Amino acid sequence: MIRTEEMLLNVGPQHPSTHGVFRLVIKIDGEMIIDAKPVIGYLHRGTEKIAENLQYTQIIPYTDRLDYLAAMTNNYVLCHAVETMMELDIPERAEYLRIITMELGRIASHLVWWGTYLLDLGATSPFLYAFREREMIINLLNEISGGRLTFNYMRVGGVKWDAPDGWIEKVKAFIPYMREQLAGYGDLVTGNEIFLNRVKGIGQYTKEEAMDYSLSGANLRCTGLAWDLRKSEPYSIYDRFSFEICTADTGDAWGRYQVRIQEIEQSLRILEQAVEQFPETGEVMGKVPKVIKPPKGEAFVRIESPRGEIGCYIASEGKKEPYRLKFRRPSFYNLQILPKLLVGQNMANLIAILGAIDIVLGEVDG
Amino acid sequence: MFGLAKGLKYTLKNMTRKKLTYDYPNEPLPLPDRFRGIQKFYPEKCIVCNQCANICPTDCITLTGKKHPDSSKRGKIIDTYDINFEICILCDLCTEVCPTEAIIMTNQFELAEYSRDELFKDLVWLDENDTQLRKENKA
Amino acid sequence: MDEKDKERLKKEAAEKARAAAQRKREEREKKKEESHDSVSEVNQTKDDVTSNQDLEKQKAAAAAKAKAAAIAKKKAKEAEGTETEPTSNQDLEKQKAAAAAKAKAAALAKKKAKEAEGTETEPTSNQDLEKQKAAAAAKAKAAALAKKKAKETEGTETDSTSNQDLEKQKAIAIAKAKAAAAAKRKAKNANESGDSEKAKAIAVAKAKAATAAKARGKTTQAKETEEPEPITPSPQQPILDRYLNIVKEHYKDDILEDSYINRMSKHVPTIVVKLEHYYSLALLFKQHSGLHFEFLSELHGTDFETYMEIYVHLYSFKNKQSVALKVKMDRENPRVDSIASIWPGANWPECEAYDLLGIQFTNHPDLHRIMLGEDWVGHPLRKDYEPYDVEV
Repeated sequence: MIRTEEMLLNVGPQHPSTHGVFRLVIKIDGEMIIDAKPVIGYLHRGTEKIAENLQYTQIIPYTDRLDYLAAMTNNYVLCHAVETMMELDIPERAEYLRIITMELGRIASHLVWWGTYLLDLGATSPFLYAFREREMIINLLNEISGGRLTFNYMRVGGVKWDAPDGWIEKVKAFIPYMREQLAGYGDLVTGNEIFLNRVKGIGQYTKEEAMDYSLSGANLRCTGLAWDLRKSEPYSIYDRFSFEICTADTGDAWGRYQVRIQEIEQSLRILEQAVEQFPETGEVMGKVPKVIKPPKGEAFVRIESPRGEIGCYIASEGKKEPYRLKFRRPSFYNLQILPKLLVGQNMANLIAILGAIDIVLGEVDG
Repeated sequence: MFGLAKGLKYTLKNMTRKKLTYDYPNEPLPLPDRFRGIQKFYPEKCIVCNQCANICPTDCITLTGKKHPDSSKRGKIIDTYDINFEICILCDLCTEVCPTEAIIMTNQFELAEYSRDELFKDLVWLDENDTQLRKENKA
Repeated sequence: MDEKDKERLKKEAAEKARAAAQRKREEREKKKEESHDSVSEVNQTKDDVTSNQDLEKQKAAAAAKAKAAAIAKKKAKEAEGTETEPTSNQDLEKQKAAAAAKAKAAALAKKKAKEAEGTETEPTSNQDLEKQKAAAAAKAKAAALAKKKAKETEGTETDSTSNQDLEKQKAIAIAKAKAAAAAKRKAKNANESGDSEKAKAIAVAKAKAATAAKARGKTTQAKETEEPEPITPSPQQPILDRYLNIVKEHYKDDILEDSYINRMSKHVPTIVVKLEHYYSLALLFKQHSGLHFEFLSELHGTDFETYMEIYVHLYSFKNKQSVALKVKMDRENPRVDSIASIWPGANWPECEAYDLLGIQFTNHPDLHRIMLGEDWVGHPLRKDYEPYDVEV
């Protein structure tokens, strides 16, 4: 009989595998985790408080900094909330540009997750491949918006820039290239026995638990629930595209991995159709009042970000500034289940479980 | 073992591909025209309308105007114009609202300094920052 | 005098003014019945504290009002024609002292005449002016409240002017209405800006020389023309009705404060529940097979200055329907049952609401300051939050 004693261990806040400033206080008995307490707030910048003193256009750059790996969806959720309140019509071309940029962002975000997750698990080379492809997406987005990560691209009523000459063709050319690489990723990792042993059966939960804990995105879909707001409650013009909701039925890290990889493929499908249908000409900015003042009232909208369901609540007093602005940040909700998943697990699985949830700390802390 | 072999094949295939890394800083980074870098300011174009200072989400722009020296002309001309790059987030909103395009973005992004004070750029500095100007400034 | 005292003072004054306004309204209600006047009714349960800024503006408005009254008195019946434009803020500030004094005198006299109980609760203050300001503010407050209510009953607002402009216009309108009223020597009208202040003021402005009675007559006309067009029922209305029926089946009493379709928020059925029934209704929402909201999409709090609110957005994967559940609570001591035992996903959002707004959740498994840490002073998302910094 080996004698063990309890030990308190701090993981983070400056730990590379936490993907940001996230601290986890765990109690271990030998190699087994017997208690875990996440500590967050290291990146809390008070976005919601700052926003109470800003006009709606001025808030858009701040949303870039919530989920900094997929800033386009954050841009969109704010604009969408204001547009819903004001009942604005968005020009078709702008809608297409929004969808294209958002789906590019989704692919980029999943690529970062894929690369870093495998890095967490000890595989170095996939990270480099993923970032190679991501760099191409970033260059595309940089070309259209002028920013590599903080796009500040969308505006209430449309988008800031029209697509530059030849940009749509570049996106078109990127799609088959990405498909090819995706198949390569499959060869490289998906069939790898070592990898499969690391992720199968790890961090497992049931569909009921996932719903109880308000999980969303791939974390919810990995339990077999086909729930994707793009399809279930279509916003923008997502109802014009045919694509599938990716699910897995295992509810473990392996399931989440599969869902995300399939989602890249589905995003490529949407992109393919979007660049095909892209209108030749048209405005990119709708008719909006010079000063954006949503009427008195409140609205809550939610859309599908790469990490799950991102929502935006606005309480307006009919002024230039929101009375209260609140973002439903998917990573914040998704992270709640972590202590439950960790207890009783081996130390070595900690990072595998945390990484599979796919959090961005800018979003967790808000 | 078959999975490992397949993975190795992909790795080997990638060894023959051409390099994708940039040789920065030996070579300048290729950036698109729309890239939002440090602003260039044209004092002669400015009409002191204060719109840039008002739209700035971080309040990093401070400016003052003075009466036009030529008393026959109306309006104001710019006196001081400062951008605090400690807090500027290069969001592009100032150039978006400027009615005369007196402030535009450049492709300059290198802002590393040894002291915080040096990040406080004034009118003269912003005027002299005139390389790699952005060609297309309005959507 | 420190901030708290001032706050208390203002509140007390506001309380008093409200009581007075209420009485007056009742009186007028009687009058209306006699003259078959059909000014729309307003519900009279609301708002206590407005922000300091608003109060400041209201003070200015009140001062202008009092001033106008004074002028009107002097000029006797000419007042009908005069326009007392409120001057710049600075001037107003100067006028305030004098005007407030007059207003104060009038108010006191009125108070003595009309109330037996409300006279002695005047809080002590080092300066007379302070008192006067409070009185004037209270008066203005009552007027503003009535106005707000009137606006709410009117339904859709279509103000195109900026708020400041509106404020000014209102001040002008009030001043005019006031002048007309004062000319009629109805001193008791002082507080009676009444239900449809805005509509009335417009009518007065149009007629200018109209008497108060006539103005009231016109109000009804103006009201009728402003009537919003009937709106088509929301597609979500049957769903809301179904929710309400289920709730009715399970509760004998009326446990809901309100229920409506929030058209602005993609027609989401919205239910406002009374504080004490919040937990049990949430439980019903999750467990009842006809509702079955198993997914908590969002939970957050908001400080609405007169009350705190928790907003919960629920979704049912089974029925493919959503609902917004809201509960209001006292702002000074916000306390509500935790629903983290129903939806474990509410755990952190409740911590966040506690951290940023100071809302206490009873029976929460681990209520802690999740974002800012336990040593942070104050709750930043409260509207009266003052940043605390030891180094400054």
